Amino acid sequence: MSAINNVIVKIGRSVGGVVGTLYQAGRDSVDTTIRNVIPFMAFISFIIGLILTTGVGDWIAQGLTGSASSLAGLLLISLVCAIPILSPLLGPGAVIAQIVGTLLGVEIGKGNIPPQYSLPALFAINPQVGCDFIPVGLALGEAEPETVEVGVPAVLFSRMVTGPLAVVIAYFASFGLYTK
Amino acid sequence: MNLHSLMIQSAADATVDKPEGFLGVLATAAEDFISVFNKGGEVLLSLMGGILPTLVVLLTAVNALVRLIGPEKIESLGRAAAQPGIQWYPVRYMVLPFVAVFMLTNPMAYTMGRFLPERYKPAFYDSSVSFVHPILGIFPHANPGELFVYVGIATGITTLGLGLGDLAVRFLLVGLVVIFIRGIVTEAITARMMKKAGV
Repeated sequence: MSAINNVIVKIGRSVGGVVGTLYQAGRDSVDTTIRNVIPFMAFISFIIGLILTTGVGDWIAQGLTGSASSLAGLLLISLVCAIPILSPLLGPGAVIAQIVGTLLGVEIGKGNIPPQYSLPALFAINPQVGCDFIPVGLALGEAEPETVEVGVPAVLFSRMVTGPLAVVIAYFASFGLYTK
Repeated sequence: MNLHSLMIQSAADATVDKPEGFLGVLATAAEDFISVFNKGGEVLLSLMGGILPTLVVLLTAVNALVRLIGPEKIESLGRAAAQPGIQWYPVRYMVLPFVAVFMLTNPMAYTMGRFLPERYKPAFYDSSVSFVHPILGIFPHANPGELFVYVGIATGITTLGLGLGDLAVRFLLVGLVVIFIRGIVTEAITARMMKKAGV
């Protein structure tokens, strides 16, 4: 009798564990959605509304479209974003990358930028990723203070090379993307 | 759509002459003003109706999967990646960042650096932080707060009526190549700077 009891308890426990995990996962995902995703959507929607209804769109289109629809222009964007003084300022929360990405998305949607440029553009607007976070990120990895001292400039200088390089790789990887 | 905008819209539908003079200017200004937010509201609704439900379900599934597997399972991978030798480079700067970002998400992924020797830590950070966006196209759970780096541009592709699969996969694959290169370059730069600093 106790053996059967044990089996039932065991099954009950593991099922309860799985259901509990799933439920907790749902709670977490709704939580992140409400805290992080929807506020950003509201903010981005406002910006898109502003771009689409006012003349701001044309102004941005002239500035961005020219540079975002050629390899040289994208390289220029990535070089600017990778400048060691600028990159930590452009990094926080990836806000700049998200706004510029959205602006480019609007222009791609309007047909001003060819869709195959979306791939290199994703790298061109983002060589500064995490540049604001290097000391914290290294601390999370339990790095010594000496490592942080060397690590911050090492990452920043590395981006000067790898930022534009990423654009070139993405450019060649975009052949055959959204073309007939 | 709120009441205010409905009121202004119905006024525009009516078959009367356009308002003129001072009040006319005010009325046009009011319409222009609210049209910005009407458009924004439309965009918000399309985002919330389009990607949000999928995102919530996907987040739930992947979060559950990560919890069931247990994030501590990847620690042995971290230890393996710490070894010197050329064959461990792809593990350290491709496999480990991918697994860490997938399982631990931004920013906890960087804690995997604690298994590596000091000289690899900056390179590992560089490599894994550079992967928190390329992964978004297929696994948005890894960094939902910065979704729009990808979704912003992807929205343009959707507007054109094209599929996103091709872009998402290429973004991920190119991302893997880029983080690999970034890891190697940053490791080399770190080594040089450490030598100079005499650490």
